[in-house]
Amino acid sequence: MNFITEPFQYAFIQRAVLAAVITGVLCACLGTFVVLRRMSVVGHALTHSALPGMVAAYLLGGSIFIGAAAATMITAFGIGFLSKDDKVYEDTSVGMVPTVMFALGVLLISAGKSYRDLSAMLFGNILGITSGDLKLIALITGATLLMLAFFYKELKLLCIDPDYAKAIGIPLHMLRYGLLLFLALTVVVGIQSVGTVLTNALLVVPAATARLLTDRLGTVMLLAGVFAVLSVLAGVFVSYYFSLSSGAAIVLACALIFVCVWLARAAKVKFY
Amino acid sequence: MKFSYCRHRHSSPDPKAPALEIKGLIAGYPGEDRPALNGVNLSVPVGASLALVGANGAGKSTLFKVISGLLPAQAGTVRIFGHHLGACHQQVVYLPQRSEIDWHFPMSVLELVLTGRYVYLGWFTRPQKKDSDIALESMAQLGIADLGLKQIGKLSGGQQQRVLIARALAQNADLLLLDEPLNAVDARTRDTVERVLEGIKAAGKTVLVATHHYCGQEEGRYDGAIYLKDGEQIK
Repeated sequence: MNFITEPFQYAFIQRAVLAAVITGVLCACLGTFVVLRRMSVVGHALTHSALPGMVAAYLLGGSIFIGAAAATMITAFGIGFLSKDDKVYEDTSVGMVPTVMFALGVLLISAGKSYRDLSAMLFGNILGITSGDLKLIALITGATLLMLAFFYKELKLLCIDPDYAKAIGIPLHMLRYGLLLFLALTVVVGIQSVGTVLTNALLVVPAATARLLTDRLGTVMLLAGVFAVLSVLAGVFVSYYFSLSSGAAIVLACALIFVCVWLARAAKVKFY
Repeated sequence: MKFSYCRHRHSSPDPKAPALEIKGLIAGYPGEDRPALNGVNLSVPVGASLALVGANGAGKSTLFKVISGLLPAQAGTVRIFGHHLGACHQQVVYLPQRSEIDWHFPMSVLELVLTGRYVYLGWFTRPQKKDSDIALESMAQLGIADLGLKQIGKLSGGQQQRVLIARALAQNADLLLLDEPLNAVDARTRDTVERVLEGIKAAGKTVLVATHHYCGQEEGRYDGAIYLKDGEQIK
């Protein structure tokens, strides 16, 4: 028991655990729609595109969060804008824009000759979360959950039958851009925990795991939240006790839960 | 307070206007050189039941997509109950082909049928008991009242078709655009759908049914037929 309670004597661990729970809930709820709307690749693209904004903000002495948010939003809208051109397929713009943004980030790092915080940007450091970061994470999470609650039924229809949604007058472009905007903000929240490279896993894997277990949307979100929070907490403790990368530990915990659930489900199908 | 999806106020049907009036319609898909519809002219009176006949690729689905506002017209005019496109969202319902729905989405049959009520609910309003009652009544007409809690991913092809028609009925629209409603369905579903179509017609609603099979028994079911070939109206 002491193994679990001992780290909580430190304020940075308390902040990390709180951030873990909030981030887990956020990624699970939005990630459910990302998975069900087949947007995992877009999520992957956005996570990689945050790097130049973070590096630029770091070099200019500004907020890394705001830099990341600006870069991911530029990417989200860039993908949406380019995809409107008939000659540029959507998967082409999804493949192109984030790669260019990532290259720009690497260029800025090499130009600034500052490799010190590169690891934290790429792979996250949940133990390094400040009170200010925590407030921003809570704010973004609150706004995203409100958005999901307000537009829940329209988002469901967008996933299952976008043509019908459009036919009854729902402005699909607005809904799609809204989803991309909040996806970009969620990526920013996830970056502090698992970094730019691994955030997409936190969005996608818990929701994909939950989907294996249930056919009910609400339950998918709930289970995804449980899996995400457990994974992030596992990352906090592994990082604390073994001084390992928290981001990598979180993603591997997500993957471990997925594999266990997948195997259990496969065994159930085989024997029953 | 209601927040409609549509920027314009929903217009009531003009009693003197035909249900559907199309003049010189040209429409196509982005990136394609040749229009999918070229010079279509139609006037469908209120209460008529017409078959839209043509082979695959003739332009039947494209015509429905233009009428339901999914695809913009490149030229020509489309008026529904005397109003321009978009003013009558509640009065028009488009039944898509089954393949256009994501049947793997975690949703129950009742939830899917309830989406037919969304156009009346608008933003921020959840379906009420009245909406559930209407959805359940539509499902009962299609013989799927007992499937309400079943997940849509576990339905057979015939059940999927009946669920989509139940959603169309739940919208209570006056102009129904049904894209191949009898395509690849079992005999039981075919009988049920035919009975429901007769009921829709008896209720004075206007129905356009896209089909590539129109002969013998089919001819007696409709007031007439519109023929399309390679995007052009041939009769």
